[in-house]
Amino acid sequence: MIGKLNQSEQVLLETLQKTGADELAADFAKTGLPTRRNEAYHYSDLKMLLGDVPDLTTGAISTSVPLLNIEGAYRILIVNGEVQISDEPPTGVIVSTSRGGVVEPENDIVAQLNSALTKETLNIDLQGTVETIIHIDRRYEGEASHINDGVELYILDGSNATIIESFSGSNEAHLSNSASKVILGRDAKVTHIMVDLSGGRVRHLQSVQYEINESALLHSLIIHKGSALARTQLFAKFIGENAHADFAGLILGAKEQHSDISINIEHNVANTTSSENYKSVVLDKAKAIFQGKILVARDAQKTDAAMKHQGLMLSDDAQILVKPELEIYADDVICGHGATCGQIDMDSLFYLMSRGIEKEQAKSMLIRAFLAELFDEIKIEALKEALISVADEWLEV
Amino acid sequence: MSNMLEIKDLHVKVEDKEILKGVNLTIPKGETHAIMGRNGSGKSTLSYVMAGKEGYEVTKGEILLDGENILELEPNERAVKGLFLAFQYPIEIPGVATMTFLKAAMNAQRKARGEEELLTPDFMREVKSAAKMLEIDSAMLKRALNVGFSGGEKKRAEILQMALLKPKMCVFDETDSGLDIDALKIVSQGVNALRDANRSMLIITHYQRLLNYIVPDVVHVFSNGRIVKSGDKSLALELEEHGYAQYDESI
Repeated sequence: MIGKLNQSEQVLLETLQKTGADELAADFAKTGLPTRRNEAYHYSDLKMLLGDVPDLTTGAISTSVPLLNIEGAYRILIVNGEVQISDEPPTGVIVSTSRGGVVEPENDIVAQLNSALTKETLNIDLQGTVETIIHIDRRYEGEASHINDGVELYILDGSNATIIESFSGSNEAHLSNSASKVILGRDAKVTHIMVDLSGGRVRHLQSVQYEINESALLHSLIIHKGSALARTQLFAKFIGENAHADFAGLILGAKEQHSDISINIEHNVANTTSSENYKSVVLDKAKAIFQGKILVARDAQKTDAAMKHQGLMLSDDAQILVKPELEIYADDVICGHGATCGQIDMDSLFYLMSRGIEKEQAKSMLIRAFLAELFDEIKIEALKEALISVADEWLEV
Repeated sequence: MSNMLEIKDLHVKVEDKEILKGVNLTIPKGETHAIMGRNGSGKSTLSYVMAGKEGYEVTKGEILLDGENILELEPNERAVKGLFLAFQYPIEIPGVATMTFLKAAMNAQRKARGEEELLTPDFMREVKSAAKMLEIDSAMLKRALNVGFSGGEKKRAEILQMALLKPKMCVFDETDSGLDIDALKIVSQGVNALRDANRSMLIITHYQRLLNYIVPDVVHVFSNGRIVKSGDKSLALELEEHGYAQYDESI
């Protein structure tokens, strides 16, 4: 069977064997990386796309400047998988680390690789009303290396918190495989944002898990901007009634970037609601992929879920691939999906230009307008501004 | 140069169909002219070609604004040179705040003319005073551009833009459509307040009604892609009475 593995897979297999993850190594030797035949990876055939797998990181010093500065935030660095806590955490924030990875594998090889190869996980418990924004600054620094890291956030019953995770670092051909697990206790109210600002040579794989308990409220936002290859897979499970979650995301793709957001939302109990609102803007030869799967279990009556993807194509060679999947076993459910894809509206462009606004500025205004809805949902001004500036920088390139 | 606008033998095709078939029109500085014609006669095409919209092929002729041919210019360059088109159907743009748009337009024009950008307090003062004249509620200015505006609000917003951008050649494309009588009066007052010796106006309409409030110096009858008759304001009344049919065959 080993003969079927390509060079990247061979290196990954050896990496697993060296780490002592024998069981996973044995499985991996049989399966290799997911290909287009695997439905979840249909548009992101990792066997084809992943490329060279560098050596596992031996640690590095963070040298790059933070790409995201959020005023007043409490910042924790994770540099090449190593958690670095320098400041005293604010009230209600308990920070610790644990050995090994965090994400439950979900029978997904990327998550399993992360789980097996992550040495240290950052654990944060949040209790009470935490006013300070928690910024987890995940860095991939130094020479090109293979980096795995993990974060587990537990928002206790009745607590409120805002967490942003950013991914950035040196512009080398890193392979970063990151995991985040967020557990929302009863009545917890959480905003969780992830922004990939990695350099243009980075391959960034990410697995995100949510567990949503009774009456919890989640706002999740993923932004892909930096990496050459970016794939975020999101697994969310409603496990308590009367909870609501808004899942949102944005792909900003340029050059030859390949950017994939694949979400799996499980409504497992009755009376839960969700919205899924994703957007992609692509230019040059960039490819954006959105796969949205919503599962409504047999007992999950009165589920209300509405999924939407809107694409804006700014060049003839760019691509947007969208696939919705609804799997519904309950019979009293509202569940829908929609997708739009278009170019800049010429009538709007003409209208703005007819008032003296130059074409490029008018286009930028219309792209910003397209994105505005995603940022308007962010109620904390400092955070909203930081995210808008991420999009603005992209528009100026 | 005493003419603000000169259109000479303008021929325009849209997808191989000739829509404008030799338009000749001269508007001296400070004058207000009206073009009247039935729907589908090519009036709106004329306004779009003047403003530089894509999709119209000029096969012959020229348009001079203050002596300069503008046909090769981008829409924004024409605006900077002082041309303003009040749209028949102003475009709704969700996500662009009206104030942001107004400021961007004013500053783009100032920048192109080599002037300093407007400071926010000065900008706010100008907007407030123009909005007051047009009875525009400040709540309306806080909304996204033209989104959820009533027909009358959209037209008033167009005139507001005109008041702020101070163009020298204003073109009104069916500005009266969708307006009730009160809105029509407000819009007309706004337009009349902007009439002066250095500003010319072209009002495109198919009803005489608007011309009771904005009284033109010259009225032109437009039929089958060209101007077939010109006269003073009494021509508008005559058209109202007898209709356009008499002009249909007069080629």
